[in-house]
Amino acid sequence: MRRYGDLVALDRVDFTVRRGEIFAYLGPNGAGKTTTINILAGLLHRDAGQVSVCGFDIDREGVAVKQRIGVVPEESNLYPELTCRRNLEYLGQLYGLGRSERRRRVDELLETFDLTEKASVRFRALSRGMKRRLTVAASLVHSPEVVFFDEPTSGLDVPSARTLRELIRTINRHGTTVFLTTHNLAEAEDLSDQVLILIKGKVVTEGATDEIGRQAAGAEILSVVFSANVPVDTLLAACPAVMSANITDEKWRFEVADVHQTTMQIVAWAEKSGLKILKISTETPSLEEAFMAILEKNSAGSEVRR
Amino acid sequence: MIQIARALFISRKDVESYYSKPPLVTWGLLFPAVLMLAIYVKNPSTYLTVAPGIIGMTLLFGNTSMAAIVITWEKRSGTLQRLLLAPVSHQTIVLGKVVSAAAYGVATSTVLTLGLVVLLKMPMVHLPVFIVGLLAGAATFALLGMIIAVRVREVFEAMTLLNFFRFPILFISGVFMPLDALPAWARPIAMVSPLTHTVELLRFGVTGQSWFPTPWIPILVLATMLTVSWLLAGTAFRRHANR
Repeated sequence: MRRYGDLVALDRVDFTVRRGEIFAYLGPNGAGKTTTINILAGLLHRDAGQVSVCGFDIDREGVAVKQRIGVVPEESNLYPELTCRRNLEYLGQLYGLGRSERRRRVDELLETFDLTEKASVRFRALSRGMKRRLTVAASLVHSPEVVFFDEPTSGLDVPSARTLRELIRTINRHGTTVFLTTHNLAEAEDLSDQVLILIKGKVVTEGATDEIGRQAAGAEILSVVFSANVPVDTLLAACPAVMSANITDEKWRFEVADVHQTTMQIVAWAEKSGLKILKISTETPSLEEAFMAILEKNSAGSEVRR
Repeated sequence: MIQIARALFISRKDVESYYSKPPLVTWGLLFPAVLMLAIYVKNPSTYLTVAPGIIGMTLLFGNTSMAAIVITWEKRSGTLQRLLLAPVSHQTIVLGKVVSAAAYGVATSTVLTLGLVVLLKMPMVHLPVFIVGLLAGAATFALLGMIIAVRVREVFEAMTLLNFFRFPILFISGVFMPLDALPAWARPIAMVSPLTHTVELLRFGVTGQSWFPTPWIPILVLATMLTVSWLLAGTAFRRHANR
């Protein structure tokens, strides 16, 4: 638990991240994501509860925890006056790497992050994308077991964001656990194995990324393309299993409780109405849809549903 | 030992990033050199009574200001947070920052002193005492600058808070006015001013004379102030560095 005056920023937040997975920690602005990272990284004290990172207690063994984690903050925070190489070397010194090991690791990181040619350029002279890449490289100097990414692709152009996502995958493939907070839900869906959604400092759902959609929506999506326009009132009256319906580019998306039963009802109704079904398939709600559904559930009266 | 080595890495990086910049070196030297010259031109026979005070004042303003500027700058740019994320204790960070700030103050004061010795033939009766005064004063002032700067985010806030104590103690610490000439009510305040003890050590080093009967008194007082400032700086860092 963490309070700021009367405001409870984190309320009985309880979760476990398994070694080697990419864990997406999601929530709207002000949900408590950065506060959580700051507590896990030993930058902020909690008011109650226990925090263990890599098996070490953050209060009693803070230095041991910091030796095993890397943090990529939302804003790149390296030393503007120092070159790329010197920034990495300095952090290597702080993390206790010996001279030859440091040199080898710095060269390796500059190459991995495609910054070898910029090794002698000062950090302040880099483009935003390069600054971001060097910030990620800096968090990996000491080969941490866990890396915390706070909005890693925020403010980046599409190619830079894509490159960074690929780097996050590479880091994870090498066995590093990734703790990710992002507002980009497609990114979270693309990268993560597990998702936790936090709203107003409380955990509202947690699970495997592909299960969250179904859990959150409480329904599945049936996608149908008809041969002609559909009178939706008649369709809804004939198909009681349909919970909600919407259309995009001639494709109807029905939120349904039971796919089989609804399919039967829709097929029967289409035959009776003289309509042909050109395409029918099931869809899992996207993480974004699930997230919106959860947000709506947590803010009263925001949707009219059947 | 590991933490001391890491503190020295922090110091070296700070010297590289901030203190070795030519504008900062000249900024630290220009004002005291011009002031000293003005006093000498006005009356060459009295400059020696003021010279240790001017050197002490250079340490006070240089070290408190630079420590404060570096800390507030690093807080704003997020690089202080980067340091807090590293496996180093708060005391290690304080040590690293103090060593670099003190090195800057000692370097500027040494250049000023060498100028006075070479150009104005200023004597140097007890060099070891002079060096102890320089080192202890520089470290104490750097710590005081950090204790204040770590609580705020803007340089001007730090400077305003620092000026609350810097200017008053300038007039009661024997810089421009001998301690004997102070009114009775001001003397107890002078005794708790680190500048008083720094200036008296520098004065003993330069002239062999001091307001105190022995240099051990200001050395012990400064050592105590240094320890207390060190502990306060560690606590201030723990509480305020990440805000």
